[in-house]
Amino acid sequence: MAGSKVTVVISQAQGRNPIKRQLEEDIATALIAEPGIDVSLVPHLYDMSQDHSGMLFLRSVPGNVVVLGWLYERAIRWTLDRANIRGKDGMTLLKSADEESDDDEEEEDTRQYNGIGSVNVPNRRVYCIDLRASVSADAFVREIRRISEENSVQTVDLMSWIGGSPQPEQLQRYLQPERLLEARRAFDSGSATHVDKATLPEDTGRRWYPVIDYSRCTNCMECIDFCLFGVYGVDALDRILVEQQDNCKKGCPACSRVCPENAIIFPQHKQPAIAGAEGEVSGLKIDLTKLFGGDSGESAVEMAIKERDRELILDGREAVGMSVGIKQKVREEMDQLIADLDALEF
Amino acid sequence: MTEPLHFMMGQFKAPIPQDRFYSPRHLWLKEITPGRFQVGFTAYSLRLLQDIYFLEWSIDPETIVRDKQEIGEIESAKAVSSMFPPFAGKVVAFNPRLLIDPSGINADNYGNGWLYEFETNQTPLSAAGYIEFLNSAWDDAQKTIKGQVNES
Repeated sequence: MAGSKVTVVISQAQGRNPIKRQLEEDIATALIAEPGIDVSLVPHLYDMSQDHSGMLFLRSVPGNVVVLGWLYERAIRWTLDRANIRGKDGMTLLKSADEESDDDEEEEDTRQYNGIGSVNVPNRRVYCIDLRASVSADAFVREIRRISEENSVQTVDLMSWIGGSPQPEQLQRYLQPERLLEARRAFDSGSATHVDKATLPEDTGRRWYPVIDYSRCTNCMECIDFCLFGVYGVDALDRILVEQQDNCKKGCPACSRVCPENAIIFPQHKQPAIAGAEGEVSGLKIDLTKLFGGDSGESAVEMAIKERDRELILDGREAVGMSVGIKQKVREEMDQLIADLDALEF
Repeated sequence: MTEPLHFMMGQFKAPIPQDRFYSPRHLWLKEITPGRFQVGFTAYSLRLLQDIYFLEWSIDPETIVRDKQEIGEIESAKAVSSMFPPFAGKVVAFNPRLLIDPSGINADNYGNGWLYEFETNQTPLSAAGYIEFLNSAWDDAQKTIKGQVNES
């Protein structure tokens, strides 16, 4: 019955915030003793490169997997998807905090997305949980127990999706969560030995790049036309792909603003709609800056153009303004905004 | 106590209390000690913003600010905006309650939902003056909002 096992992977917070570290440790410690559950920790999911050992470990995990991270669920799911870590959408009852706060919004968010979806999805479940959803380790442990029970009767076709050839030695550390936690504690307290350091995964720097939500993406190619930094490409099936993640310009979310489906996530952006929160009203919001005293009331497209021009100039290139990559489809986004405004009942 | 004045935003009746001053930036100012004011959003601003769930200040307390200097950002269910001071002056302290939970603005915008304490020597508008400003600006305001839809 190996197929009934659930693997829980905790994607750690950036930096060494003690409160976040404690929550991660409390969850991991509680789950180590739990029958039917394997637990491990990896560096921050978004910051790991495709060939980081933590990513290789995630790719090697067979069966149902629960990934917890300091990101919106959508950001976790689609970052995994980009790394070829896929599965059917597992339903979690613990939701990101922003979503429950606006109950009346949920009714309004009736927009149906008809994305092209993912491909080569294996027959297993992937559950994504935002670690900001609760401050109590118990809440997460209870939810993971529930998930474990939900999957205890299922048999899953193992092995079929394990691609590549993971290096077992490199991945050993992820199979010993107690040792990982111990090494991490030693590291945080400054008393790490060379053995501890060898146990810990390779360092990750902070990264910035778009993540495509294929449940929303319609393959319209607005983003590839708009971005002038060579981030986007297409795969063998002519599907849009974030090809060169690290070509992306830190802090620039412009392509996300021009996406008519709000399918492009920048997990580290401060606006929830761009960072991957659910339940937004079309994701495009009215900018009241002009009314509140600013000189400009900018639409999302205007902001995107300004952001792109700024990055072009920083690169020593010419600003292009509206002349490149702005198309008719933007109007559909605008129609959605009209509908939102009508709801304001002026 | 004097009854609040009202401004009609379509069907919505926005109360404008007469016990305080106003700025054309859609903020109220209530004098707590001479020259020092609590500042908050008017009912007019809140009607446009609706449920607020993100508030961030980009300056520290005790910062002297120019008119139209950006001091923070706000995001609500309906809108995003940069934040600006009511006039040139000094932002003295932020409302600590809102740093934990910005929805306090929606709960009590004219009371506990104040944004920051502010010092200025500029002359603010009276409630009647603000209503007059709203009347003159209402057409433009609607154009600004809907204009974002029609441009580009």
